[in-house]
Amino acid sequence: METELASRKSKIGIILLTGILLSLSLLNCLQPDRELSDAERRKLKQFPAWSVGSFVKKGYSEEFEVYAMDQFPYRDVFRRMKAESLYGVFRAKDNNGIYLADGYAAKLNYPLNENSLKNAMDKFRYIYDTYLVDNKGRIYSCVVPDKGYYLAAQNGYPALDYDKLFNSVKEGMEYSQYIGITDCLKIEDYYRTDTHWNQIKLVPVAKRLAKEMGVAELLSGQYEEHSAAEPFYGVYYGQSALPLQKERIRYLTNQVINGGRVYNYETKKTTPVYEAGKLKSRDPYEMFLSGPVPLLTIENPQAGTDKELIIFRDSFASSLAPLLMEGYAKITLVDIRYISSSILGDYIEFDGQDVLFLYSTLLLNDSFSFK
Amino acid sequence: MLFSSITFLYYFLPLVILLYFILPFRYKNLLLLVSSLIFYAWGEPLYCMLMLLAILQSYFIGMRIEAAGGTIRAKRWLVLSVVLCLGILGFFKYYNFFVANVRELTHLPLPILAIALPMGISFYIFQIMSYTVDVYRGTAKAEKNLLYFMTYAVLFPQLVAGPIVRYTDISQQLHHRTHSLSQTYLGSRRFLTGLAKKVLFANSFGMLCSQFDLSKDRSVLFYWLYGVAYTLQIYYDFSGYSDMAIGLGRIFGFEFMENFNYPYISKSITEFWRRWHISLSSWFKDYVYIPLGGNRVPVPRQILNLLVVWMLTGLWHGAAWNFVLWGLFFALLLILEKFILLKRKWYGKGFFAHCYIMVAIIISFVLFRAESLGQAASDIGSMLGLAKLPVISVEAWYYMRSYGVILLMGALGATPIIRKGLHHIIGTKPGAQAAVVLEPVLLGGLLLLITGYLVDGSFNPFLYFRF
Repeated sequence: METELASRKSKIGIILLTGILLSLSLLNCLQPDRELSDAERRKLKQFPAWSVGSFVKKGYSEEFEVYAMDQFPYRDVFRRMKAESLYGVFRAKDNNGIYLADGYAAKLNYPLNENSLKNAMDKFRYIYDTYLVDNKGRIYSCVVPDKGYYLAAQNGYPALDYDKLFNSVKEGMEYSQYIGITDCLKIEDYYRTDTHWNQIKLVPVAKRLAKEMGVAELLSGQYEEHSAAEPFYGVYYGQSALPLQKERIRYLTNQVINGGRVYNYETKKTTPVYEAGKLKSRDPYEMFLSGPVPLLTIENPQAGTDKELIIFRDSFASSLAPLLMEGYAKITLVDIRYISSSILGDYIEFDGQDVLFLYSTLLLNDSFSFK
Repeated sequence: MLFSSITFLYYFLPLVILLYFILPFRYKNLLLLVSSLIFYAWGEPLYCMLMLLAILQSYFIGMRIEAAGGTIRAKRWLVLSVVLCLGILGFFKYYNFFVANVRELTHLPLPILAIALPMGISFYIFQIMSYTVDVYRGTAKAEKNLLYFMTYAVLFPQLVAGPIVRYTDISQQLHHRTHSLSQTYLGSRRFLTGLAKKVLFANSFGMLCSQFDLSKDRSVLFYWLYGVAYTLQIYYDFSGYSDMAIGLGRIFGFEFMENFNYPYISKSITEFWRRWHISLSSWFKDYVYIPLGGNRVPVPRQILNLLVVWMLTGLWHGAAWNFVLWGLFFALLLILEKFILLKRKWYGKGFFAHCYIMVAIIISFVLFRAESLGQAASDIGSMLGLAKLPVISVEAWYYMRSYGVILLMGALGATPIIRKGLHHIIGTKPGAQAAVVLEPVLLGGLLLLITGYLVDGSFNPFLYFRF
């Protein structure tokens, strides 16, 4: 009886395990390679070209393994299985550094990287010394808190020393007027699955900045709310690999925003403030000012002022800048992750514009991509 | 090639298994040899030649030793083979360590060479050395068939991280072995158990150690958390690999020796070393300790022998002073136990004995992992509260909570409790009936879950590959 049971178990086991192994192997070999992962928002590794040199140097085997992992059938399903087991069985608090709290996915942003903060301060100081010291405009600085500011400590996750970070910026940029916005925001003002904030919640932030920068009276505060039809899965959706609910990009328009023209120095093209076509791209958030762009200007033909603003920024400014348009005839946005700060003078005439340094805590804590 | 890789699991293994069971017996060893060479060359293409040279000298010298039949010529051939083996091992593993120390002492401008450590060199060199010694002693017959000998020496399941299989253990199986459905199933189950130990547990503990390395928010708790995590990582990593090797061996009809037997339940260091890396400690016992005189010499000589054996055991693990100290640390504890403690009735009894052994083992592995003696001293000092660190830090508390469940599961899994529980359940009639379907289904689920971890490209180093 026992032998019979063992024999049946062996048969079932061999059939099942061989079935899984062979079917996934076959599928792996037969399915065409994919170029992109929508969930992870990245290019997938393609079949590595073989050469004796790459094989001897061991590079080929490593490249092949990356290819095998990237192109594995049902990759997203398998990644989800891992994430579910980590959270559900092993009760891990994060997966790949992404955690879930109060229904929001956020990245562990800890501890404060003082070297990175110093690097950012040095870079801003260089910009100030090179371009702004004789510029007659006023200089402002503002730090955008990441979601961790509202989530981490409250939910038992290690949190950045935000006070230290804000004070370091205030002290390191004493040539600027610091504008605090943490009290204008709450966790509900961010997307659940993404790093970014939700534009329709940014009116208080825009008003605070406008007030401190002396253009409050020019902001009407009148907007029309819109919700994109396309689903939005933020960057943490893919990284957490969990079945989070889809969201929708929401945005504000008014006459000034609709009439604004954006000039992209890289593509040398003029586009509207919002590029609806980007809603179907890998990162729908790129609809705001076309996403990561080194240098662009927003012209406001309906401006009741000739004031200009230069924003040194990261991606958080893309959705905020349109809300400041009414206060300026022209806003220039510079992303020094994609353009070297040493050549800015070739493109921008620093001539009395106001300047705002608007950076998120995420970037200040990881600023080594600054050029 | 790593066992815990998509390349191995979903390209190499299915193809090799398929061909293995299709081919008639006379081609099976050839297939295993070719596939083992591909397996090794995939990760170490250049050093494949070195491995083949080492194996070939052992093969030819083995026949010479047998032909010389116990004469002085046989001894000379043996010495030549051992010198060649140790020469290869010494040059590739210990040259830079030796030169760095000589330079430090003499300030001579000896060159440091850019030599990468060949994967698994300590394992295959020890295997072929044991073969020539056994042939010399007459406990093994020289293998005349080069194909069979090479298959033994390069057999991919145990090639790069053991267990150290002796020729005498599998010589019969190389010539004749049987295969059955139940053997294949049990081998697959063992392989999957090992793979789960590696991918689900060892890698998670490794992640925690990496978080500790990166942390600037250390505390006494964090040091202990790190010590425990690394102690579990090295056990799950290495015993997982041994399980995979034994499982794969069984699929191909071989019976390899057990390499681990729940070492963390030991109540003395002597017991620990009977349960930890059994193939290595028995190798040192049979080929170094006993030839040095073993226990049949006066006590001072016994102590010296123990110190030599354990210093060599430490050095076998790596060319650095912390490994030497690690070996000597165990030598001291073993000497203490052998001549004093084990003679006391109270020693090695109860929960306290277990705690003391575990603390000693955790500290030993912190020494083992340290990059330098300075770091080892600093780490151990911090664990003992000598570094004026806070008792607890934000990060330590976070990781304690985040890894708490898996650490507990890991600690439980390092004891025979789960195995005994399962045996008890399967031992009952309803349990045995349910297991017919449930066990394969669980194993299938485990394979899919492991695949998920591998596909996500998680942290995946094999600690024992560098030995």
